[in-house]
Amino acid sequence: MNIATPAALPACCPRCRAARIELRSSSPVPGVWSVYACTTCLYAWRSTEPAENTDPDQYPAAFRLKPEDLPGLPVIPAIPPLRGK
Amino acid sequence: MRAYKDLREFLGVLEQHRQLLRISEQVMPEPDLGAAACALAQRGLGNPALLFDHVAGYADAQVLMSVHGSWQNHALALDLPVDATPKQQFFAFAERYQQYPGTLERVAQAPWQEVVIDKDIDLYRLMPLFRLNRGDGGYFIDKPCVISRDPDDWDNDDVENVGVYRLQVKGPDRLGLQAVPQHDIAIHLAHAEARGEDLPIAISLGNEPVITLMGATPMLYTQLEYKMAAVMQGAPYRVVKTAKGLDVPWGAEFVLEGRILGRQREAEGPFGEFPGYYSGCHLYPVIQIDRVSHRKNPIYDAVYVGRPWTELDYLQAMTTSVPLYVQLKEAYPEIVAVNALYTHGLVVVVATKTRYGGFAKAVGMRTMTTPHGLGYAKIVIVVDADVDPFDLNQVMWAMSVKVNPAGDVMILPNLSVNLLDPAGDPTGVVHKMIIDATTPVAPDRRGDYGEELDQPLSTEAWRRKLDALIKGMAT
Repeated sequence: MNIATPAALPACCPRCRAARIELRSSSPVPGVWSVYACTTCLYAWRSTEPAENTDPDQYPAAFRLKPEDLPGLPVIPAIPPLRGK
Repeated sequence: MRAYKDLREFLGVLEQHRQLLRISEQVMPEPDLGAAACALAQRGLGNPALLFDHVAGYADAQVLMSVHGSWQNHALALDLPVDATPKQQFFAFAERYQQYPGTLERVAQAPWQEVVIDKDIDLYRLMPLFRLNRGDGGYFIDKPCVISRDPDDWDNDDVENVGVYRLQVKGPDRLGLQAVPQHDIAIHLAHAEARGEDLPIAISLGNEPVITLMGATPMLYTQLEYKMAAVMQGAPYRVVKTAKGLDVPWGAEFVLEGRILGRQREAEGPFGEFPGYYSGCHLYPVIQIDRVSHRKNPIYDAVYVGRPWTELDYLQAMTTSVPLYVQLKEAYPEIVAVNALYTHGLVVVVATKTRYGGFAKAVGMRTMTTPHGLGYAKIVIVVDADVDPFDLNQVMWAMSVKVNPAGDVMILPNLSVNLLDPAGDPTGVVHKMIIDATTPVAPDRRGDYGEELDQPLSTEAWRRKLDALIKGMAT
């Protein structure tokens, strides 16, 4: 396993392939890992995880998401009406 | 009975009983922590807790798993003999459960106030978070006690709630929360959202073992988990109030204070869940964390969730069986014991005396109409009073000889079930089944049941003698 912190942000999200990725944190012991997150589907991953969690091409098909499907996900629990409205 | 003041005291007890394994070699957060916990669960019975103290990238983090991960650890949590059988643990739990309510001991200070962070919070650095299963959408805090009050009834302690709900870490100070409508916290959230407000919450992590069991127990909305924990440990339950007025366990390792953001939902999941399948993605509530407190050298406590059996099944074992037993017994004093160990009670085995022909089927239907049964109890097996429902050899014997499918199997169509049951069709609706594995009694005169085998006269005396002799062989 490669314990190194990539210098640049990943090109896209391993899960939904959206391009806006943020660096969320880095290891308290410097240089061991970084945590990235996708601002579209909110998937998060660590730079040192196995490739199936970090590489869009190796990310398991069963868990992939499409950004356009996100607004249609079920809302749980339902948001009640505001009182007095 | 013994009241463990905190998790550290309980770890000492586990260590005395050789039920704590320390792992000091360096491990990667992924996949090592999830893999080790999965491998431990696959070993089967008698597992110790695991304490990792060298996680790559963290200077001094400690990750604890499988605290409740065996009958031995479960027994010690309740201060029962380490070798207590599941049936013995069931009756001890049930006896204490029926003593409700105990009391709270409110104190002003707690060890978790030693270190306070209220700006630039970064949960990824403060806690050794890790992905448990490869399809999980992120890092989950999965063994927390989440504490909330009802905004419409703020000072009523009896409707304060302590629940174990999964939390997805979305950002350095932001979490997702799974709160399905059946959860008590969903009632508090609905009231806050109807008022147009955020819901203050506290998250207590790394607790002594009893409050976690209580947080996993489907008790009544008006029953406070701390008051149940008090009767389970035989002493008032010690808590500290946060500035917002939420009661937090004195013995916590980490305490996160924040707000569920009113009227907001965000993508959450998937997460490998208790039925042995991943949940899907949903739009779930969001928590903003405003303050983190923790003990020095805090211990991060997590539960492995995978294909059963895992530690989670122990957390949902007696905590599911006993409320069902108590509610069934209120209707029918003939009930002897309830085994709801399987997947949070999707399968339930009930042992009962039979009042008259057809009685066992009524017991089966009542099991399905208990509050927990509405979402579980998909298959209910009813056995005679002299069959130990926790001994599957005995249950299978009863099924083998006392069941004639012509009259003993009832299928009830289109009943409600938990959304996480993958068999639901549509999701949340399922046929349910009662298997009457009791001996037919009048006026139900089916079958040709002659004399059942019993035991020779001095069998009980011989059992005690052999138990002692066999125990002596091991020393």
